[in-house]
Amino acid sequence: MVQRSLDKRAATKGLTFQDMIWRLTSFWARQGAVVALPYDLEVGAGTMCPETFFRVLGPQPWNVVYVQPSRRPADGRYGENPNRLIKHTQLQVILKPPPANVQDIYLRSLGDIGIDFRNHDIRFEEDNWEAPTLGAWGIGWQVMLDGLEITQFTYFQQSGGVDLDPISVELTYGLERIAAFLQNVNNVYEVMWNKSVKYYELRHREEFELSLYDFESASAESTRQLFEIYEGEAARLLKYYFNFDPSHRPARFPLRKVYEFCLKCSHLFNILDARAAISVTERVGLIGRIRKIATEVAQIYLEQSGPAAEVESA
Amino acid sequence: MTAKQKQRTEPLLLEVGVEEIPARFLAGAERNLGERLTEALMRLRLLLPDAPPAGTFSTPRRLVARVPAVLLRQPHQVEEIIGPPVKVAFGPDGKPTRAAESFAERNAISVNRLLKIETPKGLYLGLRKQVRGRFAREILGETLPEVILGIGFPKSMYWTSKTGPRFIRPIRWLVAILAEGDKARIIPFEIGGVRSGKSTYGHRVARAKAISVKSFDEYAAKLRERQVEIDPQRRSEVIRSEIKAILEDRGFNAVPDEELHQWVISSTEWPHALIGGFDRRFLHLPREILITVMRDHQKYFAVESNSGALQPNFVTIINLAGDSAGLIREGHERVLTARFADAEFFWETDLRVPLEARQALLEKVTYQAQMGSYAAKVERMSVIAGGICEEMERQGSLDATGRDQVLRAVRLSKCDLTTQMVREFTELQGIVGGLYAREQNEPPMVAEAIYDHYKPANADDTCPRNKVGAIVALADRIDSVVAGFAVGLEPTGSSDPFGLRRAGNAIIKIAVESLVELDLARVTATAIDCAQGSLASANSVDLARRVESFLRERMDFYFREVAGLRYDTVRAVLSPSVPAGVSVPAVALRRAQALEMARDTEDFLALAAAAKRTRNILTKSAGVDLLNSNASVNSELLQEGPEKELFAACERITKELAALVAQGDFEASFRTMSGIRPQVDRFFDKVLVMAEEPAMRENRLRLLVHLNRDIFARLAELSEIAVETQVSSVRDR
Repeated sequence: MVQRSLDKRAATKGLTFQDMIWRLTSFWARQGAVVALPYDLEVGAGTMCPETFFRVLGPQPWNVVYVQPSRRPADGRYGENPNRLIKHTQLQVILKPPPANVQDIYLRSLGDIGIDFRNHDIRFEEDNWEAPTLGAWGIGWQVMLDGLEITQFTYFQQSGGVDLDPISVELTYGLERIAAFLQNVNNVYEVMWNKSVKYYELRHREEFELSLYDFESASAESTRQLFEIYEGEAARLLKYYFNFDPSHRPARFPLRKVYEFCLKCSHLFNILDARAAISVTERVGLIGRIRKIATEVAQIYLEQSGPAAEVESA
Repeated sequence: MTAKQKQRTEPLLLEVGVEEIPARFLAGAERNLGERLTEALMRLRLLLPDAPPAGTFSTPRRLVARVPAVLLRQPHQVEEIIGPPVKVAFGPDGKPTRAAESFAERNAISVNRLLKIETPKGLYLGLRKQVRGRFAREILGETLPEVILGIGFPKSMYWTSKTGPRFIRPIRWLVAILAEGDKARIIPFEIGGVRSGKSTYGHRVARAKAISVKSFDEYAAKLRERQVEIDPQRRSEVIRSEIKAILEDRGFNAVPDEELHQWVISSTEWPHALIGGFDRRFLHLPREILITVMRDHQKYFAVESNSGALQPNFVTIINLAGDSAGLIREGHERVLTARFADAEFFWETDLRVPLEARQALLEKVTYQAQMGSYAAKVERMSVIAGGICEEMERQGSLDATGRDQVLRAVRLSKCDLTTQMVREFTELQGIVGGLYAREQNEPPMVAEAIYDHYKPANADDTCPRNKVGAIVALADRIDSVVAGFAVGLEPTGSSDPFGLRRAGNAIIKIAVESLVELDLARVTATAIDCAQGSLASANSVDLARRVESFLRERMDFYFREVAGLRYDTVRAVLSPSVPAGVSVPAVALRRAQALEMARDTEDFLALAAAAKRTRNILTKSAGVDLLNSNASVNSELLQEGPEKELFAACERITKELAALVAQGDFEASFRTMSGIRPQVDRFFDKVLVMAEEPAMRENRLRLLVHLNRDIFARLAELSEIAVETQVSSVRDR
């Protein structure tokens, strides 16, 4: 199409999935963000990674960017749906505290991958975000690009049940959608990962197998048992910790491991939910159990990173 | 004493620059800013009495107020400080007492300079002080942060820290200037680290370059150059005219949608209408589904031909001057296609499982923890609907076919909750069930009833189209209310988590507008039995009474707010002491309407006054027992003259009323009641009710009981009617 040459996409034509990731990552690195690694456990969203969950707590400034594959068992479609994925890729950015021109900086990041807001209708539409299993919520928008939701933009208000101070901004880019948009394809599996390999080749079989397990092979019984084992392990450790008098709690404590058990529970819960193996009432109960671990973990994190803890370790 | 002061005024401009305010709150926030600013200026005495209030504007990124004439300085004011009473201030020797001296001391003035000031409480010692008015800029600098941050939002946020300001979204710039042109001065203040100034910002496409402004006209003009139209009214006109322009030639219209129109006004700074298209094949999907996807999920206007046929087109309102390359249109078309493809997939897969077969799945869908699953709710609804049908069959307003259709529709009513379509588009519950029922060849009445059974959604909505639908909708709401009350979820104060007041309003609306002969009391009795029989946690204490009084409240709401009747007319008709009762709400409404018509005549108001008097005498002297008794009058004890005349009139009118009430002619009934006025007036004028002689007194009280029971409180509690000043001439000795 002749018209397309008017678009900046022409200049970035063939911007592959991996190039897009690099450009966004280096954009935020230039803004001073640490480029962290993806987390090596199943998570439902980049928010759940320790680099977000812990670091938004407490007073220390923190800027970070990382790619995070994120699993939503309920969205599994055996690799057959052109838009929905059981495991999609997020680019997660935390800015703590956020600069006053945070929206402008975000829009410039889109410019770096070839989306010029002078030629596209970019809108910030009200959308408040909540993760009940983590006791986390925030206020913000979904960013719409010509009617397509491309980013969740959130001013975090609470995490682990703790009021945040200072506030952090979280940006979550949905990478597959943006790539499909940039490459002008209607099916995510058609996205070019690099110049010669398609998204299909890296991900399709995995989508199929993960869907197959979550919807068919997973035994609700074993999933429940696993949930209870991980929950029990977290509870055992938390009990050990909280048995100490508040002024004598141990500095030597595997807190991040407890948090991993919490994430395990959260993922197993999602599998049960996707299989429709839980009633609405049970659902509320399970969410409450996971949130209990998350809020206690957040409390310990703050106790251990507070001024008193620093003196102790010094 | 007041120094002569020039009262110079200048215009004020205030702009609060905000990150995108949610569209649904924008109009309210704009209005609230104007009210709060005007109120603050009045409180601070910075507005002359006849000065115009604040004019307001808004876009998603700014709230704007302009006040044409603000005083540059508060008027000077004389303040009176009142001390001790003169009596206390001076001793018998005329010398000042301690009280006077310490008051003078506190005010740094000598006693002999104090004044004697006349007050309503007597003569006091005091002084008058001239307080010089403060400058508007200074005092507004202190007040504006509170004016802005006090704008009410249902959910606000922090963006700096917990000790920082709270607002709907972060405030990023502030324009606050008093006077214009070279005289323009900044009103200095700060919110969350942002200082007020003269700089504003254009549309995002104009990049983040600051624009300096010195007057409102310059402000509005410069922003317009940078693609910001601050006036929502003008944006509204642009949107309407552009939509018309792009559709008119093709002979199309946008499907009217005021709510969507408001949304697009409130979410754009520089609106522009674009038309897009989609594949014709999607037109086989029901119109309701296509429109919901376009409107609720993409904020598009659907397009129809002049004859009302949906077209494979949509109109989207973008926030940019244009789309010269067609990229934006193309993007929107792609997103819509993906959404329609989803809907099409849901439609086809859902239809593979008949609604009938979905009943079993409802066991797994929780309605509410204590009230059980939707399967249990449908069970209860069936019993209630059965009761309604029986009642209506008895009255001959429903036949056996109708009854079968009702029960079938109830069975299938909630099955769509298990479909993918409703899980994705929850706002289509009921509608989707109706569409699927139609596709699966259910009788049209049944499909229509399922489709309509969430109606009326609010006071402005209509009732279900057919009687079957009305019965299903009523059974659903009665179950929600009764079961909700039974497990302790009744609304309290402003809290109504289960929306039971709305359900109650729907019950009354259906009873009044649709099932007009239905005895609601009997139906709720069935529902109460059913709830108590099936809900383990049912708290039956007083359940019937609580539900009854709740429905009376909802009737009160409907009669006043929807039917527009005066509060005391409604109170009179709904009074629990009226034996006619309100179990058939449509009849109660007709009675209230008749009373509303009748009540303004002089005779009637006199009657209301007499009713009040009668009631007072009876409650005071006879107690509630006699008041509510069937005590009859001993005609032999009646004296000639007014007493006998009143009794005769009572008897006659009671008889006439019986006939009129039986015919349901309430207007004539109230007119007939007014006819007793002369006898009542004469009685109260000439006869002493509380006679010395006990038997006579007792009999007179019985006469009043008769009058009250059979006339004054027969169709409405007339003593509730407020008797305005004009009838204070009614003799009331």
